[in-house]
Amino acid sequence: MTPPVSRLETVMGTVVTIDVYPEPGATAAQLAGARQQIQQACVILHRADEIFSTWQPGSPISRLRRGDITAADAPAEVADVIAACATARDLSGGWFDPWAMPGGFDPTGYVKGWATQRALAVLAGASGVSGAMVNAAGDIASVGQLPAGQRFRVGIADPAAPRQLAEVVELTGSIATSGSYERGPHLMDPRTRRPVARVASASVTGPDLGLADALATGLAVAGTAGLEFIAAIDGYAALTIGFDGTRGATGDFPFAC
Amino acid sequence: MKRSPIVIAGTLVGLIGVLKFHTTPVGLTVPAGSAPPAASAGRGSSAGSPAGSASTAPGSAQAGSASQQQGTERTAVGPVVDYNYGLVSVRVTISRNKIVKVGIASLNDGNNARSQFIDQQALPILEQQAMQAQSANIQGVSGASYTSAGFAQSLQAALRSLGFA
Repeated sequence: MTPPVSRLETVMGTVVTIDVYPEPGATAAQLAGARQQIQQACVILHRADEIFSTWQPGSPISRLRRGDITAADAPAEVADVIAACATARDLSGGWFDPWAMPGGFDPTGYVKGWATQRALAVLAGASGVSGAMVNAAGDIASVGQLPAGQRFRVGIADPAAPRQLAEVVELTGSIATSGSYERGPHLMDPRTRRPVARVASASVTGPDLGLADALATGLAVAGTAGLEFIAAIDGYAALTIGFDGTRGATGDFPFAC
Repeated sequence: MKRSPIVIAGTLVGLIGVLKFHTTPVGLTVPAGSAPPAASAGRGSSAGSPAGSASTAPGSAQAGSASQQQGTERTAVGPVVDYNYGLVSVRVTISRNKIVKVGIASLNDGNNARSQFIDQQALPILEQQAMQAQSANIQGVSGASYTSAGFAQSLQAALRSLGFA
């Protein structure tokens, strides 16, 4: 098997891994094309970072948060993200709410997945390629499959034992996982506006990583009660791991056998 | 739904899987010698700078430094990576197409108690798992930790400088 064409990019305050899997016998020109598309994908990630970095005081999102500008003055992506965040908030029953964050509207819980999904879109459908994966420090968007036709397999890190996988998933589309892991509780309960995590880990799979990312954030706050709102969303499935290791899942969660 | 635990090393699993399929190293893309590894990008969201990108451009400072070939064993040191609790860089030795040794080349966790605790727990495990993961069959890990992501980033750059991945 030809190894994947890979790249690691430091962007959005994390490390993004891009892997493009060539079909058997892919030509040199096709491999070069894949590298070019990876480059374009990185450009998309950096542009998203420039617009949505809450760490950069001069970014459009920071200026919006301070009230220096309105959404109408910001790049077009800002309006798209605001609309998508409103949809995610509604779908999550309010458990994901970027408007309830300290310091004003903060779409960070959606943007990493959104940007990663956009980067993946550049890689989809390339000639001589069987599949591609973009992994933003554990939030993963994928398209296609491995060269031999198997689905991608992705592990979910065990929140209680960083050296082990808690589960393995057969991935179609995307997966996002939210939880405490090393950083400790860092999620905000939009209802009480206090830090909280009701499960150790919450994973959501589905066609779009932006929505999966937002839903995973909401699910980690809501706990197992949140599995209901995920189950109601067409194409999305979820898994929670409690602090005692208890699993909760929607009926269609794609466990690997 | 009880499943036996599977040993991982964060995102190492996928990239090390690549090794199995190589028969001939592609050739070194980084000049031999011990150029100091590039400092990683700062914390938080830093736009624009490709400081941490580990592309294989010849002479690229961040792609790690590879040693001269010594018999069939070759060693490379990956770049210093900021993994949220400090700075780490990884040294890897390969022989033919297998990792034979992985270790920490440098570590600066600021002597902060929490960082030290995490490092003492995580790093020896990551070293061991980088070896074990060669037989794993996974393309990525969701919910991976900062430590393993930083370790993987440095390791992957080191492997690249040896002509892998």
